[in-house]
Amino acid sequence: MSKKFTDLLTVAWGVVQDAVHRKVFYAVLAFTVILIFLVPMLPSAEVGVQLDLAREASLGLVSIMAFILATVMGSTILSGEMRKRTIYNTLSRPVSRKGYFIGKYLGILAVLAVSLIVAYLVILALVGVKFGVFSPGLVKAVFAIFLEAAVLAAVAMLASVHLSPVVCILITGLFYVVCHVKGDFLYRTMTDSGHPAVLRGMAGLAYYLLPNLERLNINETVAHGERVFRVGAVEFLLLLGLAATFVVIFLVLGAFILERKDL
Amino acid sequence: METVLSIEDLHKSYPSRWGRPPLVALRGLDLEVPRGSVVGLLGPNGAGKTTTLKAVMGLVRPDSGRIRLLGLEVSDPRARARVGFLPEQPYYELYMTPRKLLHYYGRLSGMSRESIAARTAHLLSLVGLEEAADLPVEKFSKGMLQRVGLAQALLNEPELLILDEPSTGLDPLGKIEVRNLLESFRRSGVTVLLSSHQLSEIEEICDRVAIISEGRNVASGALEELLRSRDEFLVSLASPPREGTEPRLPPAAAWTGDRGGVVVPRQSLEAVLRALLDAGLAVERVGPRRMSLEEFFLERVGREGGG
Ligand SMILES: Nc1ncnc2c1ncn2[C@@H]1O[C@H](COP(=O)(O)OP(=O)(O)OP(=O)(O)O)[C@@H](O)[C@H]1O
Ligand SMILES: [Mg+2]
Repeated sequence: MSKKFTDLLTVAWGVVQDAVHRKVFYAVLAFTVILIFLVPMLPSAEVGVQLDLAREASLGLVSIMAFILATVMGSTILSGEMRKRTIYNTLSRPVSRKGYFIGKYLGILAVLAVSLIVAYLVILALVGVKFGVFSPGLVKAVFAIFLEAAVLAAVAMLASVHLSPVVCILITGLFYVVCHVKGDFLYRTMTDSGHPAVLRGMAGLAYYLLPNLERLNINETVAHGERVFRVGAVEFLLLLGLAATFVVIFLVLGAFILERKDL
Repeated sequence: METVLSIEDLHKSYPSRWGRPPLVALRGLDLEVPRGSVVGLLGPNGAGKTTTLKAVMGLVRPDSGRIRLLGLEVSDPRARARVGFLPEQPYYELYMTPRKLLHYYGRLSGMSRESIAARTAHLLSLVGLEEAADLPVEKFSKGMLQRVGLAQALLNEPELLILDEPSTGLDPLGKIEVRNLLESFRRSGVTVLLSSHQLSEIEEICDRVAIISEGRNVASGALEELLRSRDEFLVSLASPPREGTEPRLPPAAAWTGDRGGVVVPRQSLEAVLRALLDAGLAVERVGPRRMSLEEFFLERVGREGGG
């Protein structure tokens, strides 16, 4: 294995170690699991709908968990290292800043992956015990959640090269909201001739530049057993392509800016 | 003599916010570090020592100027593989232990697990942290953190050691240990560049110094030559004259603080000797005067600051 590649793994492994030592990580994970356990207690009229509802609600909780983990880790890891000056110890080694940046990102992905696998297993067990149904198909929705979190973590990391954690979390939250209302709200604003030109222009710019994260939200479809719409391999490749494109753009930009920053 | 590190005409300013003029940290700094030497970077607070060392490690980007590190550009990570760096006030993730830290940084230096383990045992005993090897650094004192930093800097058996204030935070014993450590590096041919405020320390350890003030060199060279650079002599007396019986001396000459000698420039030496002998004083020794580093520092930095 080349040195550059092992550097990525070493830095990424450091991020995982770091998460393992933080109580807040366990708190978010435990809180999500507890809420998933509370889901079957939701009041529901028909027994038949209960299963779908339970699956959808727990996937929704997992989405929120992934959003929080990705945003918080993406926003704090880099700026924390710069503020505490621990970054000097790493970058005075024969490690490129690019490798450092991408390694940190891969570490976040690893933590996200582990958390999502845990949450997935919890949902499987709960749905299995409560409704006697084995629903491995939920993995599709969990994977889509992972893709969305991957994009959010990249946005947060890009922002965190120069901005404080709080600002980064706000920006990532804003990004999340805007990218979810994109297909609907932004499209209408852009095309409605009643709005001022400046507003329409800005909406149009955001519409064309930002990814449509709503596409990565397949919780409902999957929770309802894909009866209406099947999420096939082609659809998955498209989602993967969408997420990967934006991740690469944000990471390249972030690494480029970090290369030029005084530490 | 081979040059391990050379810096030419380095300029660096940090941008300020809200349209204020940028903060100039370095304005044309030059530095040469010959292989095998121990070079001290001296200067008042804010002179630009840390900025210089960070530029060498590629942590800040100079505005202009040239840095060659072991014959390579600073941007080339391979140069850093042969350098050890101790940052100013080193800091580590609090849950980490010295052993884990050294493992992590060793991996990033491309060392094998076995060589890291062997090196760790050696270094932790060298810096006196064997007992604390597996304690989280959260519980460490400032001096202990500094020792972790030193071990970390030595991890990859560097050819060039760059230490930003290595003895800050160490107790007197720790300072002596660092001094002995540096002495042993000198003997084994490791080149050292260190910054310090401790003039006495630099005077004891370093064979070359660069004094910088306001981002510029005000003096640099071999310590011996710098301190003897002024053409002055010290005339020592066997015993100081009694109060009020001192002979009149030429204006260029000056009594030392304890009146046990006279500092005099070469052109007045003869006149002073004659005056002293005429007054019946016993001259014990005449020799070139070596300034203390402190005197030299005050003179150079004071002069620069005033002008
Ligand atoms: N990150 C930074 N942003 C803005 N200005 C900075 C930064 N780092 C240093 N400076 C400024 O650059 C100048 C040189 O600072 P530097 O830290 O290099 O001094 P130093 O010689 O190491 O001082 P000390 O002896 O106190 O450690 C100072 O005026 C300082 O205010
Ligand atoms: Mg400093």
